[in-house]
Amino acid sequence: MKSVVFEDVSFQYGNLDQPTLHHIDLVINEGEKVLITGKSGSGKSTLAHCINGLIPFTYKGEMNGRVLVNEKEPKGLSLFAMGTQVGSILQDQDCQFVGLSAGEDVAFALENDCVSAEEMHAAADRALKQVDMLQHKNQPPQSLSGGQKQKVAIAGILAMNVPILLFDEPLANLDPASGKKAMETILDIHGKTGKTIIVIEHRIEDVLEHGFDRVVVVDDGRIVFNGTPDLLLAEDILPRYGLRQPLYVEMLKLCGIKAKEEDRISILENTIKYKDQVLKRYMEDRFADQRPDNRTILKLQGVSFRYFKEDPYTIEDVSFDVKEGEMLAIVGNNGAGKSTLLKAISGIAKYQKGSIYYGDKNSENKNDDNSSSILGMNCINSWTAKQRALAIGFVMQNPNHMITKDMIYDEVAFGLRNFGVGKEETDARVKEALKICGLYEYRNWPVSSLSYGQKKRVTIASILSMGPKVIILDEPTAGQDYTSYREFMSYLDRIKDTGVGIILITHDMHLALEYADTGVVLSSGRVIAKDYIDRILADSWIIGKANLKHTSIERMGRLFGVEDLSAFIAYFTRRVTSTTDQSPDLTKLVKQSLSGEGEEVPHE
Amino acid sequence: MSKSGSLYIERESLFHGLDGSIKLLMLIAWTGFAFAFMDARVFLGMILVGLGILKLSKLPAKAIWPLFAFIFVFTLFNSIFLLLITPEYGSKLAGSYTGIVTLGFYSITLETIFYCITLSLKYIAIMPITILFIFTTHPSNFASSLNRIGVPYRVAYAVNIALRYIPDVKTEVDNIINAQEARGVAFRKGDAGLATRLKNYATVMVPLLLSSFNRIEVVSNAMDLRGFGKSKRRTWYHRKNYTGMDLAFAALSFAVLAAGVAIKIMVGSVYWYPFSL
Repeated sequence: MKSVVFEDVSFQYGNLDQPTLHHIDLVINEGEKVLITGKSGSGKSTLAHCINGLIPFTYKGEMNGRVLVNEKEPKGLSLFAMGTQVGSILQDQDCQFVGLSAGEDVAFALENDCVSAEEMHAAADRALKQVDMLQHKNQPPQSLSGGQKQKVAIAGILAMNVPILLFDEPLANLDPASGKKAMETILDIHGKTGKTIIVIEHRIEDVLEHGFDRVVVVDDGRIVFNGTPDLLLAEDILPRYGLRQPLYVEMLKLCGIKAKEEDRISILENTIKYKDQVLKRYMEDRFADQRPDNRTILKLQGVSFRYFKEDPYTIEDVSFDVKEGEMLAIVGNNGAGKSTLLKAISGIAKYQKGSIYYGDKNSENKNDDNSSSILGMNCINSWTAKQRALAIGFVMQNPNHMITKDMIYDEVAFGLRNFGVGKEETDARVKEALKICGLYEYRNWPVSSLSYGQKKRVTIASILSMGPKVIILDEPTAGQDYTSYREFMSYLDRIKDTGVGIILITHDMHLALEYADTGVVLSSGRVIAKDYIDRILADSWIIGKANLKHTSIERMGRLFGVEDLSAFIAYFTRRVTSTTDQSPDLTKLVKQSLSGEGEEVPHE
Repeated sequence: MSKSGSLYIERESLFHGLDGSIKLLMLIAWTGFAFAFMDARVFLGMILVGLGILKLSKLPAKAIWPLFAFIFVFTLFNSIFLLLITPEYGSKLAGSYTGIVTLGFYSITLETIFYCITLSLKYIAIMPITILFIFTTHPSNFASSLNRIGVPYRVAYAVNIALRYIPDVKTEVDNIINAQEARGVAFRKGDAGLATRLKNYATVMVPLLLSSFNRIEVVSNAMDLRGFGKSKRRTWYHRKNYTGMDLAFAALSFAVLAAGVAIKIMVGSVYWYPFSL
């Protein structure tokens, strides 16, 4: 039986003047595992809405062609009838968790179906057991992690016993280790029940490593690829549409390897036959390792913080340095204490033990008390959050939480005006910040006309204009697709070059690996490693202890029996980053994708 | 307040075992009964019975006292205002006039003071059962209780959704305020005048509202996709069949309510004033 059929489907939302989907033809068979991928705005979510019935029932618009779900047309049914055919897991684990406890949330659909209480409890327990969450049955959502909420959502769909499971960006808000567990849960369910699994996601590597039957790539409302993962990876499809290839595949391409579909490189182990080629390249072309040794501008010494006196410390004895022009990644799993550390540095949380020192070149004599300064830096323990804001800028994960003004210029000038900076100086600093962030031409535009990634840049500009020497970014690339992610990071690189120290707080190992110079690994509130990032990621003990995820480059290095894993990782990430970052300009990328040109990885 | 933002306190007691709708019924009956009277003796009796019930509920005094303190302060202010605005009202009710303080036209009578005490006792008398309902009813039980006594489930479920998302919204507000504070926006006393601070709180509302609207859209999609509103009724995960004890308390509640109404009809609202001549 065919689970989903699209016959020449075009769709235009009622409030848009352009169609979002163009002539889609697609068949998904019963029991298949299909990944649908594409950039933000490619139309992949619209495709999902056509499958679960939100189109046409919630989102109105004009549809041509025919959609069949389990051989029935959604428009002849109701949204509720569609709910018995397709179970949807949404991206936002918090918003889809409507119950006050895990058990209640799982039973939500059953309540609506008027199932009796006893039957409902039994069914909810069964479903929770399937995702290994039964012991958390009575817990409220606030005490569950993102990954656990995701599992509860999956249990909720299992309790409905629907034939098709549709996951809309299931990994978006999860740390890598939880994401991996979520994918394993999904596949385990597939193994046990044989249900059709449709996953919409742009974190392609994280999905493909679990063995999918088919990948559909959507670009600009059209299906541009529909085939096996092996064919997808062999044919350089992903870079052509601004999508990220698995790291190890990028590396193979870098070594000039041309794989074919039958080489089955979607399974990492199959790359063993390229071992000699890869290692030869690696041995011949090691490049000089430059580690900058700049002045320290921020120093944490034994910082400990707990929320309540009777509680154990949430972060304990945290020490590390940030240097001028350095990009430092603080990595760690959810609950490792990353956000608490952020609060401690920015002065929102008053740490009970330890000290923080900050040294701006111009502020060496600010503090009269010599005992509280070291290495020309001043102890800032007594500074309030507001005082610190001028020295250490903090960029929140969600730009919509920061932006309060209508116009871009005003938003970037907001902080300066609050601090009473003169008009001319404000103007100069705002313009400078806008230029660095590539937003100068847009300065008189309304903020609402920008994309998510551009808004994110506005928030950076608004912090940058205040002249801090350290900028902390919380999950800087969350919610952005690969194209805007790279573009964004290249602006950060530019800021770094002005001498500002950048702290990235992230659980994205790829991000840390490619862009950060050094890393600090947090686990249960303690620093378990601080080192160059490649050395950290080469260390299995750290990865295991911090519950991080092994990167595919590291796995490949192990597969090939490389001795100096850290150098291997460093070499390839630097190479991959330096070859793909030559065109950070958005307009260029857009032009490329419009003209259909791929970004060829040069084979020097 | 617990992590989930609800006031529920887990204990093993007779009243924890009662269904939420029965406790809601008790609250209604108790309140109805209290409003049938204007008699300090009755209220004192109710307070004693109420405290006995709270004792049986095994709720920790630490959780209960702040609410009692609140109602004391509230009734105190209420009494002061009554004395200021209608200093002779009690005399009209009691039909006697015993001046205590006289300042020109303004005079406070003993009758009015007694009236204020009676009224305060009335409010305090309602407290024990209110506390019982709030602290011994699991939040998941609120919505189903409302639905069980006749509120349409779509309306009742809104209570559930509010309880569910209030803690999330609070976290979000904290995050937004922290971020704005770091950009020099004044929220604290001492940083700026009250008017400026109020204006700043209003600024924070912009991102909060936008993200709340977005949240509403996603939540309602999630609920639709799982069949909320499918049929005229729905069942509840946390609803149990009524036990004998539930029915007994329901009967008791109806009896109390009926007694209150009967007295009100037969005797009228009698104001008890012991000192009249």
